[in-house]
Amino acid sequence: MADTINQATRKGFLVDTSRCIGCRSCQVACKQWNKLEADKTSNKGTFENPRDLTPALYNRIKFIEKETTGGISWLFFNERCMHCGDAGCMKVCPSPGALFRTKEGIVAFNKDKCISCKYCVSACPFNIPRYGTDDKVSKCNLCTDRISGGMTPACAKACPTETLKYGVRSTLIATAKAAKKTLYGESDLNGLGVVYALEGPPERYGLPEKPSIPMSIFIWKDVIKPLGILGFWGSIGAMLLHYVTIGPKKIEDEEGGGHE
Amino acid sequence: MSNYIERFSTSERVLHWIVTASFFTLLLSGLGLYSRLFTGYFTFFGGGQNAILVHKIGGVIFFFSSLYMYVNHKKDISTFDQDDKEWVSQQGGYLSRKAAHFNIGKYNPGQKLFALYIAAATAVLGISGVFIWMPLLFPRWIVQISLLSHGLMFVGSIMFVIVHVYLATIGNPGTIDAMLYGDVKKNWAKKHHPKWYKQTTGDNQ
Ligand code: HEM
Ligand code: SF4
Ligand code: SF4
Ligand code: SF4
Repeated sequence: MADTINQATRKGFLVDTSRCIGCRSCQVACKQWNKLEADKTSNKGTFENPRDLTPALYNRIKFIEKETTGGISWLFFNERCMHCGDAGCMKVCPSPGALFRTKEGIVAFNKDKCISCKYCVSACPFNIPRYGTDDKVSKCNLCTDRISGGMTPACAKACPTETLKYGVRSTLIATAKAAKKTLYGESDLNGLGVVYALEGPPERYGLPEKPSIPMSIFIWKDVIKPLGILGFWGSIGAMLLHYVTIGPKKIEDEEGGGHE
Repeated sequence: MSNYIERFSTSERVLHWIVTASFFTLLLSGLGLYSRLFTGYFTFFGGGQNAILVHKIGGVIFFFSSLYMYVNHKKDISTFDQDDKEWVSQQGGYLSRKAAHFNIGKYNPGQKLFALYIAAATAVLGISGVFIWMPLLFPRWIVQISLLSHGLMFVGSIMFVIVHVYLATIGNPGTIDAMLYGDVKKNWAKKHHPKWYKQTTGDNQ
């Protein structure tokens, strides 16, 4: 299915991790705007809370511990759907309209169209989609209902330090580059809709160095699928050809049976 | 005396048609999952979610019936003798118009290969199917490999089945009787499976 994206007008986030203070206003604001229930959490001896995305948690702050001379300090990382330019989830989704690209270039979802196959979670390079008791896909939809009306996404609006900046993707990138930031996600997967200015190598944040759609998913959808369709029609064609060229194996002597 | 001899019992035929019916149910309900080119097939089942449900039920029926079919004729398909070798070296006579004769038992090597492939595919499709059914309970890489192998084995199966249906119907007139009525013409048996004919009838002609 054609998944076209206008890179010039594409909207997105720039997440400058160096500014983040780990206040988690973004987590709370997202829950409020998207009317997501609170998750039960437990104390695991760290400040990170919750420890993973859930069907009711579209973004969260990952606390990454870092040893320094003075003791321990943290790197903060805002984990969320990346709104990939080449989105694995959209590639495998068999239900048209369940995951779709908005005019802003966002990967949004529609639970009514989702058929609960959960292919998208296997195809996502970042392991983002989650399923709740309704068994339907859920993830950050970049507040499509807000941004289509010209508003800022709830998380970015709530962020007190401007770690989360929403706007025209190319402008955000140009500004960050002018400030000499090292960017993550500028061109991988046809550009991530969420570009990060990181303070260390991607691995430190648990990110793949070069994110890509998993190889097995590529082979499944881009090799087996087209070859399979070819093989199907090829087999039918070969059988028809056999029938009209070499022909069926007739039992030669129809009369001869039963006279032993 | 009769012109016919029994090739398959009623229970063998019923089993074969259960496998066939579940296979085509799986094909129809799986097409929409295979590619968005075939989303239209979901409407047969009243939407994708129902198609998945039908696919799961069909999968369970196909898995057990197909495996049972394999166990049933395991002894006939796991042999390979000198006469089979001769058949293979001349591609069973299928690539030439000249009449060819082979001393074949109950099944020829092509049929054996098909039956063995279907048995292997049943196992792979069934096991990968469980992982795809409950993807959140297993590591992601297992589910990813399952999606790939499920697609791959399906493609192999449908290609094999197309050849099978052709050879069992118009490609070899008289063969379909075996699955419809259970009895085949003696002449059919003498031509296609002479060794089997001699063994079952004790007839040496
Ligand atoms: C319209 C569909 C089908 C028709 C008309 C058909 C017909 C037949 C016939 C006539 C035979 C007996 C061959 C003989 O006497 O030597 C046979 C055997 C067999 N069938 Fe089918 N069949 C169909 C679909 C399938 C499917 C979908 C499967 C499995 C996925 C299958 C698996 C087998 C197997 C394993 C045998 C045993 C002999 C062999 O290995 O070729 N059939 N079928
Ligand atoms: S991060 Fe995952 S869920 Fe989000 S757009 Fe990319 S592939 Fe889809
Ligand atoms: S679970 Fe829903 S959104 Fe995900 S691939 Fe399946 S139908 Fe699409
Ligand atoms: S953009 Fe909206 S939906 Fe996405 S994390 Fe922020 S508040 Fe939540």
